[in-house]
Order: sequence, then C-alpha cells, then structure tokens
Amino acid sequence: MSAATSTMSGPTARSDRPVWWLVFRQELDDLWIGGKALNLLILFAVLMSITAYLLATNSELSLTPPRLMIVTTIQSAITFGLFIGLVIASECLSGERERATLEPLLLAPAGRRQIVLGKFLAALSPWPIAYAFCVPYVVTLAQGDIALWPALAWGALLGTLVTVAFTGIGMLVSIYSASSRTSLFIGLLVYIGALLPAQLPGEFQDSPAGALLQAIDPLEAARIFMMKGFVDVRPVEELWPLLYAPVIVTALVLGAIFVYAAPRLGLTPSGPRLGWGTRGSEVVG
Amino acid sequence: MQPGGSTPGVTAPEPILVAHDIHRSYGARRALRSLSFTLRPGRVLGFLGPNGAGKTTAIRVLTTVLEPTSGRFEVDGVGSEHPDRIRRRIGVLPEGLGFPRHTSGADYLAYFGQLYGRSRSDARQVGRKLLDDVGLAARGDSLIETYSHGMRQRLGIARSLVNDPRVVFLDEPTLGLDPRGQAELLGLIQGIARDRSTGVVLSSHLLSEIENICDDVVIMNDGQIVARGTVAEVLQQEGGDAQDAHTVRVRVPVADVGRAGSIVEGLTGMTRRDTDPSGWLTIQIAVANGSSPLDADRNRLLDALIKADVPILGFEIAGARLQDVFLRLTAESIA
Repeated sequence: MSAATSTMSGPTARSDRPVWWLVFRQELDDLWIGGKALNLLILFAVLMSITAYLLATNSELSLTPPRLMIVTTIQSAITFGLFIGLVIASECLSGERERATLEPLLLAPAGRRQIVLGKFLAALSPWPIAYAFCVPYVVTLAQGDIALWPALAWGALLGTLVTVAFTGIGMLVSIYSASSRTSLFIGLLVYIGALLPAQLPGEFQDSPAGALLQAIDPLEAARIFMMKGFVDVRPVEELWPLLYAPVIVTALVLGAIFVYAAPRLGLTPSGPRLGWGTRGSEVVG
Repeated sequence: MQPGGSTPGVTAPEPILVAHDIHRSYGARRALRSLSFTLRPGRVLGFLGPNGAGKTTAIRVLTTVLEPTSGRFEVDGVGSEHPDRIRRRIGVLPEGLGFPRHTSGADYLAYFGQLYGRSRSDARQVGRKLLDDVGLAARGDSLIETYSHGMRQRLGIARSLVNDPRVVFLDEPTLGLDPRGQAELLGLIQGIARDRSTGVVLSSHLLSEIENICDDVVIMNDGQIVARGTVAEVLQQEGGDAQDAHTVRVRVPVADVGRAGSIVEGLTGMTRRDTDPSGWLTIQIAVANGSSPLDADRNRLLDALIKADVPILGFEIAGARLQDVFLRLTAESIA
C-alpha cells in the first residue's frame, strides 16, 4: 500500500452536474440495479394481472361494463403505483441512517434540499413505468370504448398528483424517523388510512362526514373523479371540486418537505421524532 | 496544547484546527465540556478515551454534523459559523461507516468527488488515483459488497480524501481489522499526514496504535480533556508516581527466565517481584537509598543482563506507557 499523496487537481474544478441530479442518479442505480424497484414492480404486475383477470371474467358474464373496467383498472394502477413510491420514500432516508450511509452524504458540501430532491425524484421513478405497464390491460379491457384515452390521460394526471403527494408523505416520515421499520410501518398506516374511505358503508359515504373524508383524501377524491367523470358521465365543471384535495394536499406536502423538513435533515431526526430507536447522535464515544 | 516536534529555529506552521472551549449538551446531559486544543498540519492527533468519553461527539461537532452548544472552532482559518465552507476542507471516516452494496469502489469515489464539486472526468481520475493510494486499484471495479472489512475501511479513507482535505477525522478506523490490516491502515494514515501535510485526528481505543503513530494526544474522560500534549509530554506529565518509576519490566526468552531471575536477585537493591509465562520479569528497584539515580539503577540492571548474554526482548518502566497513563486518568470512569 503506497502512501496517499495529494490528488487535488485544483480547487477551481467544478462539478458539471447539480447535486440533486448526482443524488438522483445514485439513488436510481441503487433502486433499479439493487432490485428494490424491480421487485415492487413485479408485485405491481401480479396485482394488476389479478385485477384484470377478475374484471375480464366478470365481463364475460356481462356483469361489468367496459367503462367501469377502464376506471377500475386505472384506479388499481394508481393505488398500487403510489404504494411503490410511498414504500421507497418511507425507507430512503431512515434506511440510510440505519445503514450508516447518510453521514458521508451530510458531510459533503451539498444542500439538504438538493439531497432530498434527488431522493424524492428517484422514489417517484417507478410511477411512470408502473402506469405505462397498466396501459395494455386497460386497452384490452376497454373493448374499443371511446372513453379509453381520455380516461388514461386523466388517470395519468390524477395518478401523478396523488403519487407525488404520497411519496412526499413517505419522505416526510423518513426524514423524521430513526429506523426504516418505523417509517415503513407509518407509511403503511397512511396508505391504509387513504384507502379506508372507499371501504366505509354506503350510508356513511353519503353523510356529511363521509363527504368531508372523501374531500380531504386525495386518493378517494381521485377515485370519485374518475367514477363520476367516466362511468356516470358527469360534466367536468361539476367535478372540479374533486381536484382540490389532490392539488392542495400535494402542494402542502411539497411545501412541508422543501420549505420546512429538508433543511432540517440531520444524522438523527430533529423536530417531531417518530419511532422508538436510540437517539444516534446522543451516543457519545 | 502546544504540539512538540518542532525543530529549533524553524517556525512551526499555523494550526490548521483550533477548538475553543467547545461544549455540547443533550438536554441536561453534558456530553462535551470545554474542549480546547490545536492541531498543526502534517501531524496526527490521537483522541483517546473510554466508551462514552465524548470522542465521537467531539468528532461530530468538529465535522459540523452536530452543532456545539457553545464555543467555536476553526478549520484552516474558517470559523464554525460557516459549516458548508468547513465541509469543503475536511475529510471524515465516521465510525461504522456503511457503503452502498451495488456500487463499485471506483463509482463510489467518483460520486463523492462530484458531490465535492469535481467534474465527472476529474472525479473519476481522482478516484482511480486514490484507489491506487489505498491499495485497492485492482478491485476498483468490483462491487463494494464483495470487499472485506479492511478493504471497506481503506475505501472509506479514500472517500475522505476526495476533496484533498486539510484535516482528516478518522473515528476508530482500525476497529475489527486483523493485525496486518491494522498495520497497513496505520501506515496509510501516517502517509496521509506526512505526504499531504494534512492534519489527522485519529480516534481509537487501541493505545498502542496511538502511541506508535500519533504526534499529539488528547485523552478524554466524561466529556472533558484530562490530558493533552505530545505523546512524550503526556507520558512525562502523567507518567506515574515515584513508586511506579521504581518498577521496571524486562522481557527475556522463556528459556532464560530462570537465569535472568538469578542475575536480578544478585544485584544490590533489586528484587524480582513477578514473572509471567511470556517471559516478562517485574523488578522492583529499592528506594532505600534516596540519592541513587533511578536511571543509573535501570542501566545497571540492563548491563548485568547483557553481560550475562541474556537476550533482552523488551523493557518497560511501569507507568510510563500510554496505556498506564490512560488507565490512571480514566480509572473512575472504567470502574
């Protein structure tokens, strides 16, 4: 082993890429080459196949009209697709804390917002692929219905909004979480909570409380928008209020991440702490 | 601390790391109290202390990961109120550093090189050079998950050098390495200080490695410094009381232990107190004659053994090793 000699070519050397891009690329490698994103996409494909099969067999019995199948399949793609983003984001920073790979990143002269942005974009990366994956299923099940392409376009828009929102919630949980188990558990609770309104009894859904719940849950609002827009064929003007939740929640989550939480990203969670792990920075040695 | 080792007539370089009265608390608990020291370029400073003494907290404060509760520090003239500028001037190997599994060593260094502001081609070039410096050139394109623990530590050191830092902080770099790995890593660390004129802060539990490669030493206990200076100064200041100085240990081949013991017992004022299976004899030099210079007595002992053709494999004055100083200064905490 030779002695280490100076390697600096000069302090004027400048990176030709912004930090967020470098972190994004590194995280993409980790997600896709490491196999985590691929495994989640395989799970997504299995779930989509099961959904499509059940809808197709129902259709053969003339129980499900094509439009309902289009909307249900798109809704399934959104529901499963945002789950991938939520899982990846929930684990991305808390997992790095656990694996002790966060400290060198924080020691680099890189802005915290840029680090978080790079990881956030990487966590979103499976979404477009997952949505593209559902297109052949929807096309097959649509049986030539004219609502196919508009529904796919609205699905892409709404799906992107809610995926950004839920991936962002995952990032927030991860920033404030000491362990990946805790953050994944909380992410799962958020996911179940978002799915809950659709599972409530019909009477409750029709009540003012149910309406409020639907209005503030972006996933439920997106589902109702698609149902009313393409199955009930309601005019778009009537449906605008249903877009408030996805847009407002997404904006609030992005604001919370990049204005408040990202600059406070630390070796250990600061501010509202989640989890029951040891406080890493308090380990004196 | 005024580090020694300077040649008379040659002006010592300006300190590259200066810590002024740094405190760090976690709620009511004070993890770091009044940490003050300096480090000059090209020197290795050993941070010693039992578990929980505050070494890692001190390193995390000095590397801007944690904010000091009070006090300040400067790295290469940049004050602690500018953490971003300090980060450009330091390299850090944290304790228990993790690595991405699906990245090669070369890609890992290139990534961090770019994070520190290098262009892509420059980062790759510097990464290759560093891999060569730390002895990983042949494995640079292998995935890190295939590296041994020692290789990962060397990669971590290479990463800490991607920005050509003025000060490098190494927190327990030899932990978990075999003796050969430890020796290789310590040689590398000495090379960093010598060849780059970099200040190196080395935190370790291994007293022998601190004693062997460090120019200066800071001993911490319960969050505060209990001894500091060059290794020689600390040994001199804290090197034990008069009673300890009258006890010496001589190591001879096991086959010669009996003969050496007889020689010792034949010397005036010398008593063999103990012999251990590895050939160490503990000898008490009588203090009855207060005017007898200890150095002369020790030399008389060695002279007698040499004249009798007893090979001397080791010689120690009780209380004069860093280990003795460390144990004495941290006795309460360890107990």
